[in-house]
Amino acid sequence: MANTESVLRLSLLGQPKSPTQVTEDIAGLLEKPIGIGWWVAFIPAVALLILGITTVSYQISTGIGTWGLNKTIGWAFDITNFVFWVGIGHAGTLISAILFLFRQRWRTSVARAAEAMTIFAVMCAGIFPIIHMGRPWRFFWMIPYPNERGSLWVNFRSPLMWDFFAISTYFLISLLFWYVGLIPDLATLRDRAKPGLRKKVLTFFSLGWDGSHRTWHRYEMVYMLLAGLATPLVLSVHTIVSLDFAAGIVPGWHTTLFPPYFVAGAILSGMAMVLCLMLVLRKVLHLEDYLTLRHFDPMTKVIIAVSCMVGLAYGTEFFTALYSSSQYEQFIFMDRATGTLAWGYWIMVACNVVIPQLFWFPQVRSNLGAIFAICVLINVGMWFERFIIIVSSLQHDFLPSSWSSYTPTSVELATFAGSFGLFFTCFLLFIRFLPVISIGELKTVLTYGRSSGQEGSTHAE
Amino acid sequence: MNIKHNHQDDASTMNSVPSLVGPSDAPTMAGDGADSRWVIARRSFLQATGFTLAGTSLATLGLLSGCAPAPVRRALPGIAGVPEQTPGIAQWYATVCGGCPAGCGALAKVRDGRPIKLEGLPGHPLSRGGLCAIGQAHLLELYDGHRLQDPQLAQKTVTWATLDSRITSELAGLRTGSGAVRILASGLTSPTLRATITRFLAGFTDGKLVEYDPVSVSAIRAAHQTTHGAPLLPTYRFERAQVVASFDADFLGTWLSPVAFTAGWKQRRRLEAASPQSSQIVQIESRMSLTGSKADSRIVVHPNEIPVVLGRLTHFVSRLAGALPTGLPSVSHALDAQWRELAGLLWKHRGESLVVCGNNDLASQLAVNALNQMLANYGASVDIAQPCLAYNGSDAALLTLTQELERGDIAALILVDANPVYELPAIAPWKSLLAQVPLTISFAPYADETASLCRVVAPDHHPLEGWGDAEVQVGLIAIRQPAINPLYRTRSVLSSLQAWMGTPADDQATIRQYWTAHVQPYAAPLQNADTFWHSALATGFVKASATAPTPGSFFWPSMAGLGSKVSTELTLVCVPSNAVGSGKHALNPWLQELPDPLTKVTWDNVLTLSPAAAAAQGIQDGDVVRIDGAGDPITLPALIQRGQHDEVVTVSLGYGRAGTERFSAVGPRWIERREWQDGAVGRNVATAIAAIDGRLQYSRNGIRITRTGAKHPLAKTQQQDQLETPRPWLPAGSAMRNHVQSTTLAQLPAFAEHLHGEHHPEGDMWPPDHANAEPQWGMVIDLSACTGCSGCVMACQAENNIPVVGKDEVMRGREMHWLRIDRYYSGEGEATQVAHQPMLCAQCGNAPCETVCPVLATVHSEDGLNQQVYNRCVGTRYCANNCPYKVRRFNWFDYPHQDPIENLVLNPDVTIRTRGVMEKCTFCVQRIAEARIRAKVEGRPLADGDIQPACQQSCPAQAITFGNLADPQSAVSRAREAQRGYQVLAELNIKPSITYQAIVRHPIGEAGGQHG
Repeated sequence: MANTESVLRLSLLGQPKSPTQVTEDIAGLLEKPIGIGWWVAFIPAVALLILGITTVSYQISTGIGTWGLNKTIGWAFDITNFVFWVGIGHAGTLISAILFLFRQRWRTSVARAAEAMTIFAVMCAGIFPIIHMGRPWRFFWMIPYPNERGSLWVNFRSPLMWDFFAISTYFLISLLFWYVGLIPDLATLRDRAKPGLRKKVLTFFSLGWDGSHRTWHRYEMVYMLLAGLATPLVLSVHTIVSLDFAAGIVPGWHTTLFPPYFVAGAILSGMAMVLCLMLVLRKVLHLEDYLTLRHFDPMTKVIIAVSCMVGLAYGTEFFTALYSSSQYEQFIFMDRATGTLAWGYWIMVACNVVIPQLFWFPQVRSNLGAIFAICVLINVGMWFERFIIIVSSLQHDFLPSSWSSYTPTSVELATFAGSFGLFFTCFLLFIRFLPVISIGELKTVLTYGRSSGQEGSTHAE
Repeated sequence: MNIKHNHQDDASTMNSVPSLVGPSDAPTMAGDGADSRWVIARRSFLQATGFTLAGTSLATLGLLSGCAPAPVRRALPGIAGVPEQTPGIAQWYATVCGGCPAGCGALAKVRDGRPIKLEGLPGHPLSRGGLCAIGQAHLLELYDGHRLQDPQLAQKTVTWATLDSRITSELAGLRTGSGAVRILASGLTSPTLRATITRFLAGFTDGKLVEYDPVSVSAIRAAHQTTHGAPLLPTYRFERAQVVASFDADFLGTWLSPVAFTAGWKQRRRLEAASPQSSQIVQIESRMSLTGSKADSRIVVHPNEIPVVLGRLTHFVSRLAGALPTGLPSVSHALDAQWRELAGLLWKHRGESLVVCGNNDLASQLAVNALNQMLANYGASVDIAQPCLAYNGSDAALLTLTQELERGDIAALILVDANPVYELPAIAPWKSLLAQVPLTISFAPYADETASLCRVVAPDHHPLEGWGDAEVQVGLIAIRQPAINPLYRTRSVLSSLQAWMGTPADDQATIRQYWTAHVQPYAAPLQNADTFWHSALATGFVKASATAPTPGSFFWPSMAGLGSKVSTELTLVCVPSNAVGSGKHALNPWLQELPDPLTKVTWDNVLTLSPAAAAAQGIQDGDVVRIDGAGDPITLPALIQRGQHDEVVTVSLGYGRAGTERFSAVGPRWIERREWQDGAVGRNVATAIAAIDGRLQYSRNGIRITRTGAKHPLAKTQQQDQLETPRPWLPAGSAMRNHVQSTTLAQLPAFAEHLHGEHHPEGDMWPPDHANAEPQWGMVIDLSACTGCSGCVMACQAENNIPVVGKDEVMRGREMHWLRIDRYYSGEGEATQVAHQPMLCAQCGNAPCETVCPVLATVHSEDGLNQQVYNRCVGTRYCANNCPYKVRRFNWFDYPHQDPIENLVLNPDVTIRTRGVMEKCTFCVQRIAEARIRAKVEGRPLADGDIQPACQQSCPAQAITFGNLADPQSAVSRAREAQRGYQVLAELNIKPSITYQAIVRHPIGEAGGQHG
């Protein structure tokens, strides 16, 4: 690969593929017996899920007291995990919707899996606000439904209320977008399937797809509209999540910086998670031809950009605190960096700001092992970012008499592990039953890359 | 056995008695309890029909019926009820607090036949409407299912008839023989009981009453025996003292009568006057006491130094007085400037100064008497015309008794409210001594340490169950009437003694007889006996014209005992606990979970030592330390305490009681619950109390402390002890948070100007959220008056059904108190200053909690309250996170309300909160509603002072003012506008309804300040 060559001249595939090969490769994955590797991953994932279900049942039947919270610290692992998972979801929508609108064709190979990740991450995220309630069986009181209790309504001033709308909208739109994108592939699978239950199910879900020009035309129009609808959600959801904190008066929360800061952070964590998953998929499902450096490279560059934004936000927070002349703000930031949770703060800075700078080096960007390691660290760092924001602010707020500290209980740790169980269970079921790469869309980029124009010109539909 | 229920008095007569206490804030004080005939009839109806209902109130009645010894008389419900009682309306009975011998006036709130709250009795000459935490909490002991329910003979349950016949026959043998009979009593204040005891003992050839106090003040009595010829305990009148020199006397905390002393102390601090005035308290002490935390000046001395410094003070005062008591040690002038200064100050205010000393050392107390005599305080701040009649303990008599016991001279020992095995374990081998006495009788309500060694236990009533009286000061005699039928088959001491004398009598009759003969002639000789009795019942106390015999001339004692040399070796000092006293109330979970006002430790007693001493030994908070050289070795967790003498370690009495083992079960059970209590709660340190030179000594010299290496985690409710926050990387200064404002009297005007210049409230963009047509409730808390005594915390707990959560939950930072007292230290060593700041929901006008609740479970009321709607709450805890005062409390678990007896203490006006909902202070909204309804029924507008939240009602220092902020004439509005007022976190623009008034100290040596 000559350095002088434009990236636009590079093919998006490792090996030239014909449309038939693509269908065989991707759809064929679902028709072969599953390898032992899948079971090795699936069984622990289900085990974690069962652990999570058990602990959450225990927590709901016994009380929130089974968490390590106290009178000062009302949120810790619960909302940290919530924001963490919502953040992870963001890259999926960014890739599938925003990059679609910007005609970034390299997104094709990763969009499907990234979007599946979004949906599963939002599912994991959505659990936490419900189970963190003292009376989760009353969660529907968050919904402004007409009721027989006179004029009893929800509080539209509460960011938690906005959260409820934001997350549910996001989940619905993402699910719809993902499903609409799946329809052509479901039809392909249907056509290949032997008669039986699977075929019936696929027939039902492919909504009578016939592959005609008219169908394709309408499909693409709907897909683009949904992409347009999903795009603002990338920004709005995490903006609203950040308002949970920014609208509070707790020092360390009460800042207008939070919306862009949180969105950048969400994209950082989401991109890192997508990269992790893709690198594993590539290896396990032997998708080396479909997931190449041509895909990973731009994603690592996005990471550099958002990592710098996050770094800027970290710095800005300190500046704002210093400039505010509010002793509470000043204290909380000094305390983050030097106090009892300083270790967590510096993990966060190292993982989110310092280590991603390695991606400036092309050698690192092209080393898949290094990419994987850095992305795992970014996810660790982003989890700590939310933990530090929530716990360090709450534990040392206005009145020193109420200062406190937080240690998670085994129930919280198991619940967190359980959310990973849910995520990986869903994701593994996804790769088992649905095409991980959009077959139909991939066929449109087989000839991408002008340097191999001769081959490209052979494409005939 | 049929104990006649006590409410035999004619209810209609009672109704005719006019209420003598303020018409509005109080309570109709009908003199007698609920007409139990009605209650019984209804219960019987329920029993007869087999009607078992799940409803709380009916279940309650059902329970009571299971315990009430009264016979069934009618089996028809009293449909019309009785005119005196309306279901749902509380009745208030004036009584006298049975929590300690101080004898404060109390009001018992009775709802549907059960006492649910104890409050201060307004207008009581001593307590002046205040009631301390212990006094309020001892209500809970009424409903303790672990009390003895039947008399015990040789550890076996028997009937009273069996017991009486056995005892009567044994006593008959003693009456004819020559065996010595001793009654050992503690805290005996009832004149009727005293008279009955005298009569009882008169039947024996050698019968004697021996009294002791677990925390003895017998040296004061002995000193007055020397100087005044009578073993007096003066009544100290702090309201008459401009300058107080207090030598280790924790008069605001635990010494003698802290509620009365606090009220007197507060009365002398008139900071709102046009020219603010304040007394000056100089606390000379070795440890940080509650009084020390409020002192205007504080001097740290070793306990061994107290006689020496008293000698120096006496020296300087006597030079000013021109009279030199003999035997004074020589004084080096150069070194003693501060004592000369103090002497000068006392002398300047002679006649309105006061010297008190809390140790049990005769020489010290003689010096105190000489000082008060030279300063002309006798007859002023030291009242010996109406001396104190409580705390009659005599160390000498107690020690004589132990000798008699050791010689085997005693044939019968009867213990009245005495638990020497626990309280004074080291002064005698009680176990073997009691074993050899042929007849040992204890009246203890529990099978406590002593009672379990006695052959006979004749359990006494809880003070609220029976008749009684108390005379804690000459000329002030109070009456205690039953507020409930006895729950168990207990019997009063009075009844038991009467029965054993062969003259069984009703307690009410006995007491009335005594009052007719001995009280009425001095109080209202011309009144009709019935009228007198009923009015006494209604007011709860009467003032009699009696005075103590005037003592002769002052006998100047020799000061030779004071000594001049000080050996400051490591000394152990035992002090009564601020929470459980000297242990009588250790079985009370409310008190066990009450944070100590200074250490903030719950569920434990600790050894406190100074930071320097801890550093020298490498001791940290929670390190278990062994104390050798003070009786049996004691192991206790250590806690570093500022302001303490470096060579003193302090331990709290009152812990390690038998029976507190059961508290290890308190609190929710879940997988990570930790069990901390290995056996009893805390350790009994009374083993260090020794009889030295015929006197009980509470400090022991020459002890050694060593770390055992073990750790004992402490359940502290406050982790950060100071307002100064660490500020790494930032320039020095402004690290002090301004939540507590304090100044000195001389600087007050400038300070006030600065305080009000500090905040310029900005104009609101928005019109006020809430129309102000209604009253706007607000509160003012005077931090200068608040001593941290925690009476308000207990008042809130009792009023608002706040659960006890246990040590593990407290350690996890989940105590449920709606009202807490923040305690902040500043300075080090002798310069340590302490601020107490009651913190409760400020009912903010712009409440941060209200905007964030997604389901509108916390909303603003028209009358300015921030309401928490429990049944709407889904428990997101967002409100608590967003509360800058951190006063919201979350129900992490379902806190147990399973003990059916204990549940009788619950206030039916306040909901029990379920798991998963938030709760917080409501400004006692149930009291607001009640007052509003009462005003409406009476067809008048609410008057200022109609409403008193529970915390305000019981505050001995009257530090809390409550009322309508919308009325500029209300007391609370005027207090809010006063110059010391400020609002914590006002800069957040949350518009709190609570205003704090800055602490004002008046240290010695400060120029200026207008003295009274």
